[in-house]
Amino acid sequence: MAALYGGRHRWKRINCLHIFSRKLTGKYDYDLLVIGGGSGGLACSKEAAQLGQKVAVLDYVEPSAKGTKWGLGGTCVNVGCIPKKLMHQAALLGTAVKDAKKYGWQIPDTISHDWPTMAEAVQNHVKSLNWGHRVQLQDKKVKYMNLKGSLVDEHTVRGLSKAGKETVLTAKNIVIATGGRPKYPTNIPGAAEHGITSDDIFWLKKSPGKTLVVGASYVALECAGFLKGIGLDTTVMVRSIALRGFDQQMASLVTDYMEAHGTRFAWKSVPNRVDKLSSGALQVTWTDTQTGSEHKDTFDSVLWAVGRAPETKALGLDKLGVQLNKETGKIVVGPDESTSVPNIYAFGDIGEGRPELTPTAIKAGKLLAHRLAGQSTELMNYDNVPTTVFTPLEYSCVGLSEEEAEKRHGKDGIEIYHAFYKPLEFTVAERDASQCYIKVVCEQGGNGKILGLHFTGPNAGEVAQGFAMGFQCGATYSHLIQTVGIHPTCAEEVVKVHITKRSGLDATVTGC
Amino acid sequence: TPFVFITNTSLASPPLFHYFGWLIPGDKDKQGKSWCPDCVKAEPVVRGQLSHLPEGSVFIYCQVGERAYWKDPKNDFKETLKLTGVPTLLRYGTPQKLVEEECFKADLVKMMFTED
Repeated sequence: MAALYGGRHRWKRINCLHIFSRKLTGKYDYDLLVIGGGSGGLACSKEAAQLGQKVAVLDYVEPSAKGTKWGLGGTCVNVGCIPKKLMHQAALLGTAVKDAKKYGWQIPDTISHDWPTMAEAVQNHVKSLNWGHRVQLQDKKVKYMNLKGSLVDEHTVRGLSKAGKETVLTAKNIVIATGGRPKYPTNIPGAAEHGITSDDIFWLKKSPGKTLVVGASYVALECAGFLKGIGLDTTVMVRSIALRGFDQQMASLVTDYMEAHGTRFAWKSVPNRVDKLSSGALQVTWTDTQTGSEHKDTFDSVLWAVGRAPETKALGLDKLGVQLNKETGKIVVGPDESTSVPNIYAFGDIGEGRPELTPTAIKAGKLLAHRLAGQSTELMNYDNVPTTVFTPLEYSCVGLSEEEAEKRHGKDGIEIYHAFYKPLEFTVAERDASQCYIKVVCEQGGNGKILGLHFTGPNAGEVAQGFAMGFQCGATYSHLIQTVGIHPTCAEEVVKVHITKRSGLDATVTGC
Repeated sequence: TPFVFITNTSLASPPLFHYFGWLIPGDKDKQGKSWCPDCVKAEPVVRGQLSHLPEGSVFIYCQVGERAYWKDPKNDFKETLKLTGVPTLLRYGTPQKLVEEECFKADLVKMMFTED
């Protein structure tokens, strides 16, 4: 009896000692361990290091199905925002060169685009950013490891190198910022074998040629946009609607412009199969769901842009009980980016309900670092986030769509001011401005608090940034029209907007 | 002042070797002082890390000439190698480079030599 009791007591004591000693020395390898070296992960780790924390960041890129891989920096730097914007610029320059003739420049009748020249320049810039991030991490004393991280327990991460070597790391706090990757359709024969995604398009050494883009997200439309812009035969296949979640009137203007400028749209259509022909070309068979008829056509490339999936599979989250959203697979997070497991946080694209944007990931990461270092309690404000879709006709917005505003305030609770305008630069260039449009959705009554601001036109992102600040400050319609415009610009039309949708009057701006 | 000029055509990609360029002025004034004090400060740091060079590397010690030549915005180094400052340590054919104060940091130099 005594022996038994003695045994139990001893085991208990040893167990307590183990925990006690761990807490006493506080000896974790790191104060903060970040899994994911993208926009969010890098910002968080660098900020934490600057606040005196001992920080490590793990970044690892699983090659795409086609074998594409890239360096440090995440989606934005390597296969997102940066190469996208540069290729969008390449396409815009093509249009500008054509416009230039009308402005007097002596330019040959046909101009052509060389993909390898553009790709090499873009890829070199991305590589310089990879290097820049590497230097910054080193400089700011963040330990960087090119390892694939997975969770062992709440304080332990296992890192796997490309060669299969294992490293075990412990940390007081763990942050998951692994982002997402493009989805491949699961029920279309030939999809994965023959198609590519946004992970691949920016790293192609040769032109994708005649391309079918499947999807109608901003990824799909932006890619289709620059492919058409550099002179490639481009088709967009849309299952239901374009730019889901965005203001649908604005989305129509974006796609109308693309259609008017030569992009083919296969509306309400779904692909059935992709086959490779003996010529090497890809034959795609699809169904027009409105008529039920089947169609086929051949393409050089098929680009799947049918959504992005969160990178959680290899993290070992279920083992630790980190709650995921059943529908999206993203990590359920609190307003402070906490997960269901204390001391494990998640933010950026991986967080459920979060915008999939770089600036919000960066800001959230920095604020999280401050909170974890005990330096602040400030939470990330995810409201009033402005965005821009870099389609051939750019679209920027901040706040609510017309549909959302109507849902929240009722049709009679809002007043919508709008205007069709023509950029001055389009006049001499004889360019069609039918889809250049401004819409300001305001609260009915009072000073008319602005609920949403929408703009299609050149340099939409540059135009909207300043207005986003006004929005953040709670600007009203009254503030807007008190603001003097800068002339001649497109942006000035925003502060001059005065025709309401309700009036039914012609909203076309007349000259000054 | 003699200097080695690296042309674009002589180094094919993918490189069989790693080419590192160390670009600094070699000339000194009458008092025996280099017109680039940063280069003088960085030299022992870079030399101290040479043991970490990857196998099969070629390390090119390249002088950019007199101050007047360097100041000319159209000089060969600025035009062809896109140099923005001296000293510069670069891995030719890649965007990897360390410029000016970055060359003072032994850990950055070591990182450039040892990482891909």
